[in-house]
Amino acid sequence: MTEVDDMSRLGDEVAADARPVPAPDDISRFFWDAAAERRLVLQRCAACEQLQYPPDVVCTFCQSEELVPTEVSGHASLYSFVVVDRAFHPGFVPHLPYVLALVELAEQPALRMVTNVVDARADELSIGMPMRVTFERRGEVTMPMFRPEADPQ
Amino acid sequence: MSALARDVAVAGVGFSDFTRHGTPEARRLAYTAVHDALVDAGLRGDDVDGIFEYKFGPESPGAQDTARMIGSPDLAAFADIMASNPSGLGGSLAAVMAVASGVCDTVVAYRCMTRESGYTGGLSGTSAPIGGREQFQVPYGYGGGIIMNMALKKSRWMHEYGRPEDDFGYIAINARRWSALNPRAVLREPISMDDYLSCRTIVPPLRLLDCDYPVNGAVATVFTTAERAKDLRQPVVLIDCMTYATGRRVDWIYIDDFLHGATVDCAERLWSRSSVEPSDIDVAQIYDGFTTVTMSWLEGLGFCGMGEFGDWVDGGKRIGPGGDFPLNTAGGQLAEGRLHGVGFLNEATLQVRGQAGDRQVADAQVALVASGLYPQCGAMVLLAGDR
Repeated sequence: MTEVDDMSRLGDEVAADARPVPAPDDISRFFWDAAAERRLVLQRCAACEQLQYPPDVVCTFCQSEELVPTEVSGHASLYSFVVVDRAFHPGFVPHLPYVLALVELAEQPALRMVTNVVDARADELSIGMPMRVTFERRGEVTMPMFRPEADPQ
Repeated sequence: MSALARDVAVAGVGFSDFTRHGTPEARRLAYTAVHDALVDAGLRGDDVDGIFEYKFGPESPGAQDTARMIGSPDLAAFADIMASNPSGLGGSLAAVMAVASGVCDTVVAYRCMTRESGYTGGLSGTSAPIGGREQFQVPYGYGGGIIMNMALKKSRWMHEYGRPEDDFGYIAINARRWSALNPRAVLREPISMDDYLSCRTIVPPLRLLDCDYPVNGAVATVFTTAERAKDLRQPVVLIDCMTYATGRRVDWIYIDDFLHGATVDCAERLWSRSSVEPSDIDVAQIYDGFTTVTMSWLEGLGFCGMGEFGDWVDGGKRIGPGGDFPLNTAGGQLAEGRLHGVGFLNEATLQVRGQAGDRQVADAQVALVASGLYPQCGAMVLLAGDR
């Protein structure tokens, strides 16, 4: 197979994925740029040192405007999850069932992300289990996802 | 004297028919409910100087449309309140403030819904990239309005407190026990715990019977000063106190107490302003858009400890007909129909007036109404005027 053939097949795959993608903006671009490098980067407040997610224009804990993009470990625990077996957007039809989850990052209590659990069977999941970030390409964007952590540290 | 700057009373309550089928005109539904509430109060459109309604979008005629239809001479205050408020009670909360402040004397609040808008609210087909805060949710398949949030709460709830799914079932079953006594309710057949635990799931573990039921219908309430209410047609029902609540770092997901949200903040402020204690409540009307919401409210309001609803409810006996905490006595949105909180206020008013027919709670003089959910809470305490 030539490189051109390979590229065109890749193109088809991307076009076939009709799930919505994020639209990075002035507030969120650093997050998606970091994800493209397979790094999970959140805002840390220079004043109160709290991490916050999703990104915002001020620290929503102390209203400081000094926010520093900070890489986090990607270690988390499974806070809650559901196995979605019907689509609320046509783009998810080919991806049913999928696991929609809330994970709580290891760095801070109640620091949660909405995510999908990948690389795991739903019946292997249980609330509280250790998770680890991974990354998945969708169109032009790379999205953080989580999978059970085989060897929790 | 209530907690308000000027004492406010519910002067009238009104309803359109609630239907499961057909596509009635929303304008006719809204007009019917508002007109019915004015007739109930012994007032006319000519008396109305304020109108507040709650809406998701174009499904309902606006305050100005309604002013024109009922013949209001001029509105001293009005608003069409959008979906981030404490559900349909948002119109009533604004109406109370308008009367209490002296900006208005007689105000109508209403909510009008059709099944069409009730059905489609959670679906999206957009292929456009997702901006704003939703860019961190929707691309992961967090869709369906708030359905995913409710399913994630139910799942977490059972884990965190080690409770069976039956706890949620008691709320669904209770709705039908009361709706059997309410001719206006659309779902009146009793259901059992087996029915609940075997009905289909929407997003597991969230079940069909955890979700409220869309109807065509409208509900309206008229408020005026307590002073003026004395000269009107109905027994006086006073607003003892009211409050909204959002909680700090307002959000549905990224907050400390994912399971209760701002219900706790709402309760603290409500009870600090009320002339009564939680133990004085004779009848409670608490939002049940999803069974999860009712449970959050009951625990947040302090009627039982966090995670203790399942023990407190005593197999459903406590909240049903004849129980010591009559809850959602018209069947709530789960069974009477989804009218977004206003139905609860009207039912509370009828109970305090002693006009609730077969479902009347004996000697109900103090009623609690709690509407909306999580970062968009609102609550009121109503008192019989002759209490």
